[in-house]
Amino acid sequence: MLQNLFLKSLEQGLAFGIMALGVYITFKILKFSDLTVDGSFPLGAAVAASLIVSGHSPFFATLVALFAGASAGFITGFLNTKAGISDLLSGILTMTSLYSINLRIMGRPNTPLLNQPTVYAIIDDFSKKVWPLFPSKHVYLLFFIIFALFIKVFLDAFLKTQMGFALRATGDNPQMIRSQGVNTDLAKIVGLVISNGLVALSGALVAQYQGFADVGMGVGTIVAGLASVIIGESLLGGRTVFVSTLGVLFGSFLYRFSISLVLSFRLAQASDLKLFTAIVVIIALTAPRFRQSLKLPTKGCESYGNS
Amino acid sequence: MVILDHIQKIFHQDTPNENQALNNLSLKIEDGDFITVIGSNGAGKSTMLNAMAGVFPINKGKIVLDGKDITNLAEHKRAAFIGRVFQDPMLGTSPSMTIEENLSMAYARPRNMSLHWGLDFYRRKIFKDYLKDIPLGLENRLSTKVKLLSGGQRQSLTLIMATMKKPKLLLLDEHTAALDPKTAILVNNLTQKIVYKNKITTIMVTHNLEHAIKMGNRLIMMHKGNIVMDIKGEEKSTMTIPRLLNKFEQLQGEKFVDDRVMLA
Ligand SMILES: Nc1ncnc2c1ncn2[C@@H]1O[C@H](COP(=O)(O)OP(=O)(O)O)[C@@H](O)[C@H]1O
Ligand SMILES: [Mg+2]
Repeated sequence: MLQNLFLKSLEQGLAFGIMALGVYITFKILKFSDLTVDGSFPLGAAVAASLIVSGHSPFFATLVALFAGASAGFITGFLNTKAGISDLLSGILTMTSLYSINLRIMGRPNTPLLNQPTVYAIIDDFSKKVWPLFPSKHVYLLFFIIFALFIKVFLDAFLKTQMGFALRATGDNPQMIRSQGVNTDLAKIVGLVISNGLVALSGALVAQYQGFADVGMGVGTIVAGLASVIIGESLLGGRTVFVSTLGVLFGSFLYRFSISLVLSFRLAQASDLKLFTAIVVIIALTAPRFRQSLKLPTKGCESYGNS
Repeated sequence: MVILDHIQKIFHQDTPNENQALNNLSLKIEDGDFITVIGSNGAGKSTMLNAMAGVFPINKGKIVLDGKDITNLAEHKRAAFIGRVFQDPMLGTSPSMTIEENLSMAYARPRNMSLHWGLDFYRRKIFKDYLKDIPLGLENRLSTKVKLLSGGQRQSLTLIMATMKKPKLLLLDEHTAALDPKTAILVNNLTQKIVYKNKITTIMVTHNLEHAIKMGNRLIMMHKGNIVMDIKGEEKSTMTIPRLLNKFEQLQGEKFVDDRVMLA
């Protein structure tokens, strides 16, 4: 049973890990407390589910979901940089609007995807052809490992380009990077677009994985994302981008795994989970200070959401 | 050539805190000028530099660079031809990024939002050569994070970053004031070396009157948002600290007061 739990958590950890990578971009790289996430995650799910139900290819649906999330990120960035609304409020405004928009997209609060083609079903069919003995129940795991690592490597590469440097410096020292010729407004918008694109992509994949999209599925996404980022950083540290992003995926897995453990041992019921997660994040956020006051070495969790 | 044409900057306009930091200030900077700027606290020295760099819009006047009116050009766009080093060593670099990553952003200027790799073999080699110029041993620490460097090392790095792509104008705002005397000398020497070697038009604010007199070809003194003294040529090269103070008192009818000013 434990092995099964482990594999399921790995699947979920990687599926939600893509969302956590998005959260890493805004909170850690840009130091932008972006709450759009709670709306762009279900947005991705809603867009993908509606397109699949209306007969579009699941790959196309997932791609459109990604772009929908990216547009949501653009709106938040625009509100913050051009309209001068604070980062928190810009995100909250977009998130709140998305709740209505997601309902409009689906036309109802919930869209089931049972007996619909999903990206997994297609990959399963494909793998049956090239490798007939491949066990169907592992197709999710295989897909998520390959895909999440692909996104991680892609993000690592992006953060090593000139534009990636500009984004990192924008979060680190905006005055400096402006005096080096970078439009920090543009850098913020680019970061928010990529971040929310990834979050919506994750939402689309999760909806197909769990077999439905639901308007309420976004609640607490940001907290889960933050928990993953923090767990990863406190375990692996953040010396390089490569290690940091690996830590985010690993943190996401540990987060899902601990939730599964808690649930399967009946230490809590599913409805307690958000509280449970919030408490984990609070502890993690204050832990570095505990460690500091005890004069233990910290690994630099100095900058969450206080920009 | 840079022309500041009757520029005026008022902070907190139409509030009780209204503060005219620049008062119809005009200045013509010739190509190759190395101007040192002195003046009491609050005279408007930093505000003048910030106005040139485009940190904020000015209330009146015009700023013209090589015949082009840049008064309304955004800060990040002016960065294509203006290099800056700040007083605070924390301000000029990105602390959680490495030395080579910081240098890369300066090297790519002004096209540093591209998808080109930030670092490659060729660039690292160039950066090493730049760092060999400063006797701080940084050329072997390219992948060290900047937050681990001392103030002097950071200011030297910032200076290299500001001048890597030769700027039309280099703005130094008391860039050695936060350093210990020994490091300040080192950074000053590096400044002179870079400025003279590349013939960079430079404006350097300093609180050290001796540096102000010895360095550069032109010295201006600011007071209450305007330029009250502008000396060059022979008058500058024969200037002494007592004569400078004397001249200020004659001009203003008051003593040159500044607790931070260093007379020697
Ligand atoms: N960003 C700002 N906002 C409000 N007032 C400012 C600002 N920058 C400078 N000032 C004011 O403008 C005046 C000139 O300041 P500054 O240019 O920093 O002087 P200096 O660099 O010569 O010491 C001072 O009275 C200062 O308080
Ligand atoms: Mg000043």
